[in-house]
Amino acid sequence: MNSAHLLKVDILEIAQKCVYCGYCSVCPTFKELNWESNHPRGILEQVKMYFNEKYTKDVSKSLFDAIFSCTMCKACENICIVDLPLLQVWEQIRQEAFRRGRWSSDLLSIYDKVKATHNIFGLPHNDRLDWAELCGINLSRRIKRKAPVAFFIGCQASYSGKMAGIAESMVKILRKARVNFTVLGDEEWCCGAPIFLGGGYTVGTSLAKHNYEELKKLGVKKIVSTCAGCYRSFKIVYPKILGDDWDIEVVHASELIDELVDKKKIKLLNTIDEKITYKDPCELVRHCGLSEAPRSIIKKFPNVRYEELPSNREEALCCGGGGLLKINNPKLVSEVNTKLVSEIEYTEADIVVSCCPLCVDTIQQGVKEKKLGIKVLDLVELVKMSMEVKK
Amino acid sequence: MTLKTRARSKFSRAFGNNFQDTLIIRLLYSRDIVALPSITKLVVSNIPDGVVLIKEIDDIVKVFQIANDEKIPVIPRLGGTSGFGGCLPYKKGVVIDLKGLKQEFLIDPGDLSVTVSSPYVFSDLQRSLNMQGFSLCSYPSSLYSGTIGGWFAQDGSGIGALKYGGSLDQVKEIEVVLPTGEIKNFSDEDKLSLFAGSQGTLGIITKLKLSVKFNTPLSYKACTYDSAKDLVVGLKSLNNLDIFSIWVMNPKQVALLNSTSDYALPERYLVIVSKEVNYKEEESEFYANFNQTIRENKGQILDDRYIKDIWKHRFRTFSLLKNTKTFLFGEAIIPIDKSDQYIKKIETFFNNQIQIEGTMISPEKLSLLYFVKEKDEISDIKTAMLFMKFYKIMKKVVKYKGHPYTTGLWFSGYYKHIYGNEQLLSYKAYKKSIDPKKICNPGKVISPRLKIFPLMKLKTALKLASEVIG
Repeated sequence: MNSAHLLKVDILEIAQKCVYCGYCSVCPTFKELNWESNHPRGILEQVKMYFNEKYTKDVSKSLFDAIFSCTMCKACENICIVDLPLLQVWEQIRQEAFRRGRWSSDLLSIYDKVKATHNIFGLPHNDRLDWAELCGINLSRRIKRKAPVAFFIGCQASYSGKMAGIAESMVKILRKARVNFTVLGDEEWCCGAPIFLGGGYTVGTSLAKHNYEELKKLGVKKIVSTCAGCYRSFKIVYPKILGDDWDIEVVHASELIDELVDKKKIKLLNTIDEKITYKDPCELVRHCGLSEAPRSIIKKFPNVRYEELPSNREEALCCGGGGLLKINNPKLVSEVNTKLVSEIEYTEADIVVSCCPLCVDTIQQGVKEKKLGIKVLDLVELVKMSMEVKK
Repeated sequence: MTLKTRARSKFSRAFGNNFQDTLIIRLLYSRDIVALPSITKLVVSNIPDGVVLIKEIDDIVKVFQIANDEKIPVIPRLGGTSGFGGCLPYKKGVVIDLKGLKQEFLIDPGDLSVTVSSPYVFSDLQRSLNMQGFSLCSYPSSLYSGTIGGWFAQDGSGIGALKYGGSLDQVKEIEVVLPTGEIKNFSDEDKLSLFAGSQGTLGIITKLKLSVKFNTPLSYKACTYDSAKDLVVGLKSLNNLDIFSIWVMNPKQVALLNSTSDYALPERYLVIVSKEVNYKEEESEFYANFNQTIRENKGQILDDRYIKDIWKHRFRTFSLLKNTKTFLFGEAIIPIDKSDQYIKKIETFFNNQIQIEGTMISPEKLSLLYFVKEKDEISDIKTAMLFMKFYKIMKKVVKYKGHPYTTGLWFSGYYKHIYGNEQLLSYKAYKKSIDPKKICNPGKVISPRLKIFPLMKLKTALKLASEVIG
């Protein structure tokens, strides 16, 4: 197996290759904070200073503060005209901060929780499927059963009461389509997304290994996730840290559902009367290049009224909730989110759909703060609404 | 901390956390797109004493109050994407970063204009306009980082300028905080032409009203020429086709584009033309006229398949600097009649190892951007020598009746060549009346005296050095 250190890049070398064009000023947090020290090109300048003994001591605080004000949305890397792998640089600076003992206490607390309880909420393993009971779903015949497909529920949908609808909807879709699937139950561990984004590859690798072994025990060939963060971990990070051993096909719920609809395994029967818009999660569109499957499903709803957000696909605005910013600076999340909510408002949509529980949660907060009557749903919830026969 | 205690406490009291003077912040605000070799510190004190992040117009008024009392230079900064040093301190002082200024956007469809705050980035503005069916008339190639305020302060030009003119033609009114602290609006031609290209030396531009147009689709064609001389003939002949933008590359630049992309363009002088077309027939007519014009004027028409999606590259010139650790560039404006001679001059001067890109900014003028790149970092001395080489060739543009793109710091002293003697006198008189203590962005536009040898001006020193070293 490859080890995590293979993910490392020479961050000084990369910083030296920055041409300082400033295109990375698209950074959503820089747009709020405005200081050159928070500009991605400014962070690279600070990296150069960090490697210059003359400035190392002075620059470390400023550099680490700046790096934890990042949502890891990858807008900077996406627009970088000299194709610098900026996300890897940011991850490595976070790792360096960890090594230097410069993580905030809140961040360390999350780290400890994931390390000890294998979920970001610090809750017991046994509570992972409490949502099913809450939704009146009996999963006993699916838990740890041998099956070709595994539904990886994720910490958000498992433990956060307000996100339980996502897991419920996905299970109902899979059942309706008669997909032979399993869930890992109390053996499902955090995919490692928050840890990877924090730069903690050592703990992240142990989580990845555990999940991989559990999936292999059940003979899983394909893993499906409703969470953009989990999907990114499986799609991008796991193959790097587990190497060739990682032979499980990874699909996002939207990809699977789109296929099931095309194969007529599920039918989208009910019209969604409200106007819909779609928010591309950063981790899907910029990290993994997935943008069309969710749109394809939405367009299959009967008589759908759909409008794109002005900033869409690779240019989608960040909701502000990623990169552990919710822990590091909740106020900044709200400021970043305001711009996205304004774009949602511009479309005059009644429903905003996303494919990421973190986006859904953050947009819900923004919509609530602005007192807008817009519903914020995960795509699977909308599919369930359209699929179920109205009583 | 380099400000005197009294001045520092005044800034701290007035701005709280929006004033910072840590070493790191000061270093971060000591450069623009060009990283200065440390040897330049002998002539330029480019590290500011502190930085104020401006949140509202009153903040600028407060800065000027303190700066006037304490005689501290005030250096405005927006995108920091130019390489002319306009936003660099010359003799320290306080940088005011305007990016935090509250964004305003007010469109007037009847008047076909939009009023925006100066830190508005072009790409954001274009998107906001497109959402309402409008578009910018002309814009710089640094669309994703250049700001409206910075563009006007440099008297910028760019894509679309051939049809609609540069910044001075677009801007109808400005709101400025003068160094006296007064907030004034100007819409008369005389004042607008003084502020365009003034590099923030006459005051801080906070708001601009500029012309917009309806968002009309563009159609593209391309052709090549065998020599710079043929290129000039070709460019002149295209003037009758009501073109939106003409974009030019020298063979070296075409070769670099080919090597860094999937293109297989002929390595000759390449011209990419875009025109606004409202309907299919108009497009067909354009194609026919273009083909005829090119054939009659020594050009070779390039099949559309060669230039597929090439228009996307118009904002990505610097993408050709991939894997480069050192680069330097110059930008000059040259009459079209003389441009072939100047292009040849540059190419010969750099032994044909120079990348050149050009944009027609009016039927008579071509703006040329040229750069060299080095894969590895080079020593400070070598960078300085290269800098002087660039200065030397830029200096020569005057002989061809051209001038540097703007003055900034490095070409301060060239104002007369750009705007003429009469405007220089008006500029000086106005500057004296509103900034008697010379605190507003000193060292720019008018060449400053050297700190180590006050008898000599920066322009003279650079000229001498470029002759000796360049």
